[in-house]
Amino acid sequence: MRPLNPWWLAVGGSWWEVPVASAGSRIAATAVATMLALATSSAQRGGAPPAAPPTPRAAALFDITGYWVSLVTEDWRYRQFTPAKGDYVAVPVNPEGKRVADGWDPAKDEAAGEACKAYGAAGLMRVPTRLHITWQDDNTLKLETDAGTQTRTFAFGKAPTGAPTLQGSSVASWDQPRAIFASPIPNRGGPQVRGGSLKVVTTNMKPGYLRKNGVPYSANAVLTEYFDRLDVPGGESLLVVTTEIVDPEYLATPYWTSPHFKRVDASGWHPTACTAR
Amino acid sequence: MYGALTENVMQIPNPKSQAPNPKPGFRNPGPLGFGIWVLGFGICVASLVAQGPADQPSGPAIDISGYWTPTMNEDGMERGPGSELHDYGGFPLNEAGRLWALSYDPSRVTLRHHQCDAYVTPYQMRATGNFRAWEERDPHTQRLVAIHWWAQVTEGHRVIWMDGRPHPPAWAPHTFRGFSTGKYVGTALVVETTHLKQGWLRRNGTPESDQATVTEFFVRHGDHLTNTTVVSDPVFLTEPMVRSNDYYRAPVDHGTWLYACDDSEQILGRAPDVVPHYDFGKQPYAREYSERHKLPLGVAWTGAPSMYPGYADTAKNMTDAQGTALLSPAPGRPNEVSKAVDPEPRDSEIHVLPIRESVYMLIGDGGNIVVQTGDQGAFVVDTGTGRFSDKVIAAIAKLSERPIQFIANTSFLPDRTGGNAKLGAAGMDPSLPGSFFVNSAPRAVTGLFADPLRHATIIAHNNVTNRLQDAKTPDEAVPGDTYLEDRRRKSHNGDSVEMFYEPNAVTDGDSIVFFRRADVIVAGNILDLTRYPMIDAKNGGSVEGEIKALNDILNRTNYEHEGEGGTYVVPGHGFLADEHEVVEYRDMVVIVRDRVKGMIAIGATLAQVKAARVTADYDTRYGANTGPWTTEMFVEAVYNSLKPAAKTN
Repeated sequence: MRPLNPWWLAVGGSWWEVPVASAGSRIAATAVATMLALATSSAQRGGAPPAAPPTPRAAALFDITGYWVSLVTEDWRYRQFTPAKGDYVAVPVNPEGKRVADGWDPAKDEAAGEACKAYGAAGLMRVPTRLHITWQDDNTLKLETDAGTQTRTFAFGKAPTGAPTLQGSSVASWDQPRAIFASPIPNRGGPQVRGGSLKVVTTNMKPGYLRKNGVPYSANAVLTEYFDRLDVPGGESLLVVTTEIVDPEYLATPYWTSPHFKRVDASGWHPTACTAR
Repeated sequence: MYGALTENVMQIPNPKSQAPNPKPGFRNPGPLGFGIWVLGFGICVASLVAQGPADQPSGPAIDISGYWTPTMNEDGMERGPGSELHDYGGFPLNEAGRLWALSYDPSRVTLRHHQCDAYVTPYQMRATGNFRAWEERDPHTQRLVAIHWWAQVTEGHRVIWMDGRPHPPAWAPHTFRGFSTGKYVGTALVVETTHLKQGWLRRNGTPESDQATVTEFFVRHGDHLTNTTVVSDPVFLTEPMVRSNDYYRAPVDHGTWLYACDDSEQILGRAPDVVPHYDFGKQPYAREYSERHKLPLGVAWTGAPSMYPGYADTAKNMTDAQGTALLSPAPGRPNEVSKAVDPEPRDSEIHVLPIRESVYMLIGDGGNIVVQTGDQGAFVVDTGTGRFSDKVIAAIAKLSERPIQFIANTSFLPDRTGGNAKLGAAGMDPSLPGSFFVNSAPRAVTGLFADPLRHATIIAHNNVTNRLQDAKTPDEAVPGDTYLEDRRRKSHNGDSVEMFYEPNAVTDGDSIVFFRRADVIVAGNILDLTRYPMIDAKNGGSVEGEIKALNDILNRTNYEHEGEGGTYVVPGHGFLADEHEVVEYRDMVVIVRDRVKGMIAIGATLAQVKAARVTADYDTRYGANTGPWTTEMFVEAVYNSLKPAAKTN
């Protein structure tokens, strides 16, 4: 018995060889062939050379620049004040992390010139602070904090390399929800989506503190952050930083937080030095 | 004359009933049609291939359907085991919010009517327990109608309407989850919520008022969902309160979605007018938090400044005296006034809110009116101020094919009886013609019954009639059918209608009216959600009677689920309530009474009681410094009803 080829497998070959049963089916097969021809010719259409892709700055999904201030409404006591040694409630520290936290000695940090260990990339965004975010160049965002006078840079494309630093090496990208395979059928009824997140992945960090009382993260920690700007209708602009810290050395599970900031003017900007206590 | 209910009726549209039916005209396209369809399909695909991957995804930008588990990495203590007492750090509480929280005694949840209180949305989203979300789509059009969000703890079921429907009017009921509408903005789902009940922002009594509104953003990053809530509460907050909640997607059903709650007796023999609370300045555990964490007293009570950088530097210099001062209202400050939304439409129209069965609430004539309809004539409870009686009559005519037969007055006050004459004249009581009593007895005995076909029968406690007659009210506006003791009952329109006398509440002639089958209680001015109870001491009102009346209402209510729904209670003014609003109001009256009583016990004068600002935690919800019923008048009424012999100063 001759196997029946599905008609849609006939494209690109001799479609008339397919045992089609009706005029409608022949039209269908013609349509498929036509659409591929259209697609091919459209895709191959020559002319001007392709335009250079826009720079990350030009392709920004939203304007993140400006001044932002922490709204310390969560973990308030742990963030506004330095908690007691050994208070690591709600941080998923493993036994080794607890052991290190229990040995916290701020005097030792000060003596070692490491008073800024709570201001490293993995802890910095939860320190009560103001942010000043600017474009350093078309490919790099710069985030400064007045608390501890720290600077982080987010490079689009390739992360800078070198020795580990307090703020580590951050790779940035504009992130939008996207299917792995685009649906062949466009959605006619839905809105066109504009928006998304700034995704920043930071590695190559020197060890630091998740809390000022010495709850540690290690040099192996990987910090993934999603910066989302949320505009309250008729209200203020918020910047929410959804954060995941994975640290095989000191954390039993990923540590998730989402510190948030409110857009402000420059008037409250007041750089201060790090404090270890 | 009596048309269908069409105008000014709040009806939440049923999207299913509005959905166009695609079946007419939809038929099998046949082989030729199929071919044409494929041609169109092919052109679409060709277009896509030519363009390469789309720059922007289309359609809903975020799908939150599925099972979600909260992470508790932030505020883990609060959200898990429970928050510490008097920890309000990072909350932009105003003075009223701070004092409300400091007055809160956690044992208040032992009261029967608080035991099953659910969580309000801003706390529910942060509470422990798992969540489940699913879409509701119109079966015919497949358009998104709503997103449902189920919280394991308290069985919190939120419905986020996505079909563009408006929010209900100000007089519609409030619920613990509120009324939510959503839309996609960029890659976020933005949700606006109104009509919330009074509840918690934190589980230690940090309050959220029934005037709060919430804006939420749901943003998804892979299997990580972040919900940012922005609470605006003019009653208890000085600025919006922002928090963010994180969840991760669970691959399987968590199960255990139920959270049964039945109330019970927890403290036997406790008097019904006991509401656990702390007097200002006398919180026994006020120092516990600061001492445990070696922080100055009061650092967690300063409101908005505590949210911002640099706070630690200023807080560390707080003195004990500064902290102690925060336990009480600031002296010498004028009373705050209500920040609540005015629930009166003030558009010279009468609006109709269907309650249940054939019972409706009419809003717009300066006081809530209730109408019950059926085969018999309409049964009306209270008649408003009378300013818009013609429109009230027209509205009732649309609800009832029969004329008004009975009018019940819950008190003699002008916002309860102002429309008696006109509404009475527009009705008739057909049960009376031919009646032996009407036709045989002298007019002096029958009163208004003498002309029954031209007037509805007005029912009230006898003291209402006495007060109205004392005020030279025209006969046609005076109740002619009165009762003297505790109960008057009728079976009307298929329901049992009971009136219960509430002696010496806001006046000496108050009644509540209970439609038993419909499960609706009309409270009159015993429950006034727009102000402090208007205790008219000169006409027999008293704070003790008011508390007893509120408790009598609570003795007759039942909730449907987790402390809400069930028996509806129509207040004299304000939105349609259930027992939760009644119990919060009762708590308020009891707490203020206890404070005044305590000051009288130590010999305080009325002036001293007023200066102590004994209502400071409630003034932003109920207070007024001008108008017919000010905060000072309320305090004076409480004082005088507790100490009748006392004179000002």
